[in-house]
Amino acid sequence: MILKNRWFLYGVSMLAFFLVWDRLAVTRDFLPRPYEVVLQLWRMIFDPLAGKSLLGHVWASTQRILIGFTIASLVAVPLGLMMALNRYVNAIVKPLFDLLKPMPPLAWISIAILWFGIGETSKVFIIVIGTFVPCLLNAYNGVRLVEPELYDVIRILGGNRRHEIIQVCFPAAFPAIFAGLQISLSIAWTCVLAAELVSARSGLGFIIIRGMNLSRPAMVVGGMVVIALVAWGTTLLVSGLEKLVCPWKREIEGL
Amino acid sequence: MAYEQVRVKTPLILRLLPILSIVLFFGVWQLVMDWGMVPSEMLASPIQVFQLFLVKWTEVNPDGALLSQHIWTSIQEVFTGYLLALLVGIPLGLAMGWFVVVEGLSRPIFEMIRPIPPVAWIPLTIFWFGIGISGKVFIIWIAGIVPCVINSYVGVRMTNPTLIQMARTYGATDWQIFKQLCIPSALPMVFGALQIALAYCWTNLVAAELLAADTGLGFLITMGRKLALPDMVLLGMIMLGLTGAVIGVVIDYFEKKLLAGIRR
Repeated sequence: MILKNRWFLYGVSMLAFFLVWDRLAVTRDFLPRPYEVVLQLWRMIFDPLAGKSLLGHVWASTQRILIGFTIASLVAVPLGLMMALNRYVNAIVKPLFDLLKPMPPLAWISIAILWFGIGETSKVFIIVIGTFVPCLLNAYNGVRLVEPELYDVIRILGGNRRHEIIQVCFPAAFPAIFAGLQISLSIAWTCVLAAELVSARSGLGFIIIRGMNLSRPAMVVGGMVVIALVAWGTTLLVSGLEKLVCPWKREIEGL
Repeated sequence: MAYEQVRVKTPLILRLLPILSIVLFFGVWQLVMDWGMVPSEMLASPIQVFQLFLVKWTEVNPDGALLSQHIWTSIQEVFTGYLLALLVGIPLGLAMGWFVVVEGLSRPIFEMIRPIPPVAWIPLTIFWFGIGISGKVFIIWIAGIVPCVINSYVGVRMTNPTLIQMARTYGATDWQIFKQLCIPSALPMVFGALQIALAYCWTNLVAAELLAADTGLGFLITMGRKLALPDMVLLGMIMLGLTGAVIGVVIDYFEKKLLAGIRR
């Protein structure tokens, strides 16, 4: 039956979505028609906006994310592992971490601007703060939720503490760590956009805020489309990396 | 009781270290400010923040509202968006998990919208809704709906297939299986979504209030920055963290009560 065919339904859904969007856009202000968005994007690839072409802006945002994300994961993941493996480290760091954890990363934007001004440093700082929490939490929980039977096995096989950590802990915690990296990545996009909305002269957030200030909805929606594409691309990249690094991860079917 | 409670004694030092760590943190922070190692326009000492906290309950200036008003506005915005996200997201996710037609029709649109961070909606929202409460609710709604849909969907998908086959064998209709098997088995995942969605909503509240607002905790922070008052910024941040944590605990309590009979 054609109604049960998934690909047919997907097609119908996309078609309906764009048709409704187009119809709505004709009657409403501040909603560009789909083809206007494509046109605007095409134009932005060649005409620089504030000294940068579209690709330049994409790179500006991606660069910030890469720097912040790398710093955060290099600090947070080892720290999380140490906290789970050593109870003294845990006793010192956990209370401070619990104190800072509930503050939304975006709340740090203002203090970052007071500290570092409106340059690159403050944006990278916000990304580091935002990505730090899930990286650390997942590394920590990843180690703590390792099945105890696995430790028993390695001990029976004659392993010492070092073997336990290297042979059991790390491989078993890898999937959780990667899940943390995935969450971090989406938070990093939120952070970089928010930081760019507040103050920036380049980046994807700058494109949409400029579109807003110039009352050009096509530019705003175009920026959103590019953000969606790039964010989706980086997510794919991390899941690809995950498959490469830990092929033993069990997948949940579907999403 | 068949088992005797096993008490593992924690060494004294492990019980002291957390307290020490917190005390040291605030102590160093206070001392750094007292000795003037960090200029006072960049950071305020904990005592200053606490003083401002006491004063803000009765003092309207300089940001134009009492602390209680800021908190109340933020909670109102978050809860409206959050409840709407639950009301739309959970049924949609559950239906997407079971009915092929619903999944086929809504999945592509959902997948297109999902990677866009809610923050990116702010400019469009301001065009569409102006700077009133409805725009902020919309952003919070967008933020909250994604985890609701995903968790409910995965929850239904993880229903034990043997049970579904058994129900089929006994002649249950699609709707009966959905109602009596899939939904109960998805409940723990759905409740997991409550916490995640709340955290997302709370984070994006700041973003929603960042650009346009006249009360709210996010606005308090932004005002603090514009007036270069670090104690106000810090007070806003701490109140955000505190309120978020309290709401999280309340939801956790209800979750435990409601899920009392269901195996996790």
